[in-house]
Amino acid sequence: MKPLEERLNDRLEQARLDIRRNGLHPGGLTLPERERESDPEVDGLVVLAQRLQQAHQIQVAPDFAGQLERRLLRRHAELRLQQRIRRYSFFSLLRARPVLSAVLGVCLLVCLMSISVLALAAQVTNPSNPLYGLKRWEQQVQVQMSGSSVAQASLDLQFVQDQLKALPANSAHTEAYRQALIELDEQIDTAAAAIDKLPAGAQHARLASELASVKRDAIQELRSLLPRLALPERLATTGELARLGDTVPTLTHATLVLPEHPNGQATIILEGSMIQAKAQLLVNGAVVDASGTFQPDQVVFAVAWNGELYPRSLGILNPDGTAAETTAITITGATNGNQSGHSNQPTPHGKPTVTPTPHGNRPEAIPTPHH
Amino acid sequence: MEAIEQVLDYARQGNAEALSALYRRFLPGIFGYIATRVPDRATAEDLTSDVFLQMVEGIHRLKAKDEAGFTAWLLRIARVTVAGYYRAREKQPAHLSLPGDSWEDMQAEPLAVQGSDPEADPVQWTEAREEWQVVVSAINQLTEEQRQVLVGRLLLGYDVATVARMLGKQTSAVKALQFRALQSLQRLLGKSHRPLPALQQYKKEEGE
Repeated sequence: MKPLEERLNDRLEQARLDIRRNGLHPGGLTLPERERESDPEVDGLVVLAQRLQQAHQIQVAPDFAGQLERRLLRRHAELRLQQRIRRYSFFSLLRARPVLSAVLGVCLLVCLMSISVLALAAQVTNPSNPLYGLKRWEQQVQVQMSGSSVAQASLDLQFVQDQLKALPANSAHTEAYRQALIELDEQIDTAAAAIDKLPAGAQHARLASELASVKRDAIQELRSLLPRLALPERLATTGELARLGDTVPTLTHATLVLPEHPNGQATIILEGSMIQAKAQLLVNGAVVDASGTFQPDQVVFAVAWNGELYPRSLGILNPDGTAAETTAITITGATNGNQSGHSNQPTPHGKPTVTPTPHGNRPEAIPTPHH
Repeated sequence: MEAIEQVLDYARQGNAEALSALYRRFLPGIFGYIATRVPDRATAEDLTSDVFLQMVEGIHRLKAKDEAGFTAWLLRIARVTVAGYYRAREKQPAHLSLPGDSWEDMQAEPLAVQGSDPEADPVQWTEAREEWQVVVSAINQLTEEQRQVLVGRLLLGYDVATVARMLGKQTSAVKALQFRALQSLQRLLGKSHRPLPALQQYKKEEGE
């Protein structure tokens, strides 16, 4: 004999199939007479199942069923509408149009790159860096965007201070340092012009005072940099110090007195101001060993001369690091004490010109008295 | 008639008619399941509404491809909804007790019994209400699997194999669950000392 659960299931299954065959409502599980009599052990359970199926408490009220169906369809329509709206939302649009999303992606990338480059440019201090121009442009835009002329002058002053701070970093690189020095000079001029444009008053006085302070700082900074610099940069720095109002040496004229005999002693007389004792002689931008006699506003050097090229420039290097040069050079012979006829005169461009020798346009060597 | 799998596909794609068809097909089973778990019809209707609204909102995410999978999903929603109802009332169905030595031990719940008017025949109405309370209490003492077997077999009219797929069990296990569910109900309902009108017939038939 089959186990109870099998017999119960057979009875329930038979009833279920009867319902399907007879087209009865699923709730109407019937108990066939023959089955009921044949297995009393499961009859009670089958009847219980039937009663549960038929319990009116679990039958759906038609009104409720209809209302709920309408409610569900309304909710469904709302959801469809929301989906349709979402479909036309921004991201859906991007998904639907790959070209548009690609273009927007590229634009976004360009924007990000631009922002990165601008941020990078703002950190650049080396004027020879290609991004430095961008930094200057950013500064100009900042000045343009600032509302008042006071704010513009303040910004200009701020840029001078920034430039001054960046100067030591460039001192090791000749070209960058020179460029930075030129930038500093220009920015000081710009700031001074912006402050000059301001009407007299407290703001003008404050900014003028700040500019003077910045200039003092600049002098101090440049002087501290002098010992680290090569001679050409020292000359440039000395020039900038002079423009900032510092006391620096200047040369107005140089005279070269050639020796009577080859390999003799030439005399170089340099005239100017602020020439310090123990200043060194510069010939063509290089320090030359020579003993000097210092007088107020003049120094006389005696130097061994053995048929070198005519000097293009002569100058001095003061012990404090400042330097001065001149290309206004007069060359004379020692015998008559007069000019030999060879004279380097500065051109309008500052380069010395040499009076042609009898041998040609460019003298090869200093002529001896015997020639 | 279209296969339920086809209807499911249409419903998943947002077809309103397919959704209606599913609703009509599963309303009796889901309502029956909920009505045997909560004490009154109004609550059963509210919870049934919640279940089918969730069906409408979530059917596009449904992964089930066949009827058994869909039924299991819907019954899962129904079970969670009923549990939420009891949690909200700080009352767990498992703690509902059947009447003990006296009928008065049973907790009174507001019951709305279909087909009876309390003003016309208050005695009959009260009896019917109390009777159903006993049935709800008895069904709440079954395991969830036993309840789902009864819903599948008796309310949705599935064969054993479909119910087995729905529950992820062997057919023999489903037959055993079915037997134990009805046996437990018989035992729990038989404990009541007071004759219950709707069960009198059953007891009478059992006696025969």
